[in-house]
Amino acid sequence: MALTTAPGRTSRTGPVGPRPTRRGAGRARYGEGLAGYVFLSPWLIGLMGITALPMLLSLWLSFTDYDILTPLSEVRWVGLANYERMFTADPSYWHAVRVTLTFALVAVPLKLAAALGVALLLNRAWRGVGLFRGLFYLPSLLGGSVALAIVWVNMFNRDGAFNSFLALFGVEGLPWVSDPDWALQTLMVLAIWQFGAPMVIFLAGLKQVPVELYEAAAVDGAGAWRRFRAVTLPMLSPVIFFNLVLETIHGFQGFTAAFVLSNGTGGPVDSTLMYTLKLYISGFTDLEMGYASAMAWVFLLAIALVTAVFFSTGRFWVHYSDGDDS
Amino acid sequence: MHPATPPTAGAPAGRNHRTLLTRRRLVRGLAAVALAAPLALGAAGCGDDAGDGGPVKLSVFWWGGDARAKLTEDALALYTKKHPDVTFEKTWQANQGYFDKLATLTAGGNPPDLFQIDDNYLAEYAGRSTTLDLGSYRDSGKLDVSKFPKSLLEYGVVDGKLAGVAAGENTQGLVYNKTLLTRNGLPEPTTGMSWEEHIAWAEQVAKKTKVPGTQDPSADYKALWVWLRQQGKDLYKGTELGFTVEDVTRWFALWKGARDRGATPKPDVIHEGNSSDVTKQLVVTGKSTTSWVWVNQMPDLKKNTKDELGVVAYPGDPSAQWARASMYWSVFKGSKHRDTAVDVINFLNNDPEAVALLGTDRGLPSNLDLRAKVSETVTDPAMKQSIQVESELAQKFGPSPQVPIKGHSKVKSELTKAAENAQYGRATPAQAAEQFVTACKAAIA
Repeated sequence: MALTTAPGRTSRTGPVGPRPTRRGAGRARYGEGLAGYVFLSPWLIGLMGITALPMLLSLWLSFTDYDILTPLSEVRWVGLANYERMFTADPSYWHAVRVTLTFALVAVPLKLAAALGVALLLNRAWRGVGLFRGLFYLPSLLGGSVALAIVWVNMFNRDGAFNSFLALFGVEGLPWVSDPDWALQTLMVLAIWQFGAPMVIFLAGLKQVPVELYEAAAVDGAGAWRRFRAVTLPMLSPVIFFNLVLETIHGFQGFTAAFVLSNGTGGPVDSTLMYTLKLYISGFTDLEMGYASAMAWVFLLAIALVTAVFFSTGRFWVHYSDGDDS
Repeated sequence: MHPATPPTAGAPAGRNHRTLLTRRRLVRGLAAVALAAPLALGAAGCGDDAGDGGPVKLSVFWWGGDARAKLTEDALALYTKKHPDVTFEKTWQANQGYFDKLATLTAGGNPPDLFQIDDNYLAEYAGRSTTLDLGSYRDSGKLDVSKFPKSLLEYGVVDGKLAGVAAGENTQGLVYNKTLLTRNGLPEPTTGMSWEEHIAWAEQVAKKTKVPGTQDPSADYKALWVWLRQQGKDLYKGTELGFTVEDVTRWFALWKGARDRGATPKPDVIHEGNSSDVTKQLVVTGKSTTSWVWVNQMPDLKKNTKDELGVVAYPGDPSAQWARASMYWSVFKGSKHRDTAVDVINFLNNDPEAVALLGTDRGLPSNLDLRAKVSETVTDPAMKQSIQVESELAQKFGPSPQVPIKGHSKVKSELTKAAENAQYGRATPAQAAEQFVTACKAAIA
């Protein structure tokens, strides 16, 4: 993905006039470039050894019947069989796709809305606003942690804290985490609650919106809603875009909470069988690592595709201030 | 994970803020994220065997809790005391994730010399030649199995090879809350009750005590297995399934009947029992009067409740149950120290001191002479009880079935899924059975 961003960037930037040359003659540039690569080398070696090579290996494995236990030298090439099985003969694969899409389609927009809403509230010069920013960010620090997921599951048990709270109002709660109709929703709420990271990015974005614009809008008689629609949203659109892309990818990759909630099974009745969980089960429990590798590659391509779609629609709603300059 | 720094950070303040978040920065930020969160799966394998000689360090891997760790470490220390040139690299963890780890270690070319395994995975490993065939050691007498029950030894044979040696023996056990029954003047279940009688009893218990009488075990492969054997069927026959859609339909229908009569907990509670480890089984948490477990788990259950527990065989003819290896010791085929590893297995099973140390934590000792000795000396009442019940049942045991075949772990999870589909009322018994059998056929193909 990273390799394609460089050409992509130039083509997208398009004819906005010559960019200023930042470096002088070629010789100096060459020397600096070399030094740059030398400084980069620890990362570069890590990238090649720990990421790129295993990825290539997994691409090869996705065309084999590798089962983890058999030595790599003895795996059998099976061509496209893994991919064929995925698309035509494994209903639980498509089920996992549906679960993951449902999760992302609901959780990502709500999470972004929550992040933006709270960021707007915290973008004021209140006394103690820093404390609130910290508090709202806290859940995200705990991030994908197993401990948090365990706490969450216990809170939403049939006799968990949440139902005790509901009982105060005479409402009888449901067994949220062990009801196949609600388990995924419980995970969605957990994901939405962790809106701290996009919130901080939104806050940074809000700080960048020039005050003059609001002043000018106010002078023209724009109310709060109008100012939000006509100034904040367009000025914030690159940040929204950034968060959207990031959170979508993040949402697709949700694993930890689903794993903990279901003891690694995707249950009850596969209701929390996220794509990554299905992949993990195939690879490590069912010992079908070749099949799991194929799933990983389809997953990578799907995420790349979704991201590409975002980028291609972005031009219609994302306002980059640098583009407007010329 | 998210980037630590938002893309706008680091821009010099006071400059024209309009250029702060440019498309270029945005793309760069995304690229950085893409690199920081790679999606890669892969494994590199390498292994080299060097010559033997001198001190030996044997790696041992098992699953279990603190108590088992303590006992096992003591027994291994005893071995080192008797064989000072052999030391151990011990690794242990909870059952959940154990087999993921074992598979990963194997793939990484770094599997333990000696490891614990159970019948859910034995065929998976043996079928891929990961385990050493212990047959030659048995024949040469280096591995002494002369005191083992024959059927227990045979339950470690896969494709004619001795893939694992039973580290202990257990069998299915229906554990019930004795205190609750006595307090309410209700009869205790007995071995040999029919399934219908069991369900009627459970209904009676539920009505009287308000505690569901029995956990619906339709998602439990070991209960289904016993029930199938009572019908003259089996879980597997050769490389095929030993049952039909009709059999499973009847099994699911039996339990739908029990649920409809109010004999069982609600589906979400059943699910809780299905997905919990032994310490949170419903008989212990007070959400059901009985739980379907293995007899040797009695002491573990007892530790988690104040109530008195009892244990009997699963309903129906108890000769459908067999001397099951609760778990095995296996040796990695490529181990440099295979002779030593086999000797350690021999020691753990046949040395009177070691067996006394280990007690019944892994099930009844496989060596019958030592089993008798341990039974006499054991003091833990729950352990005593489980030994007594299992010894009684041993008189009635039928022949062992074949070790579950490759794909069995998937069959297990498919059963849970199908049974829960029926429990939550999302499928009729017939639909759930159809779904299960179709999935099984794909899993073992």
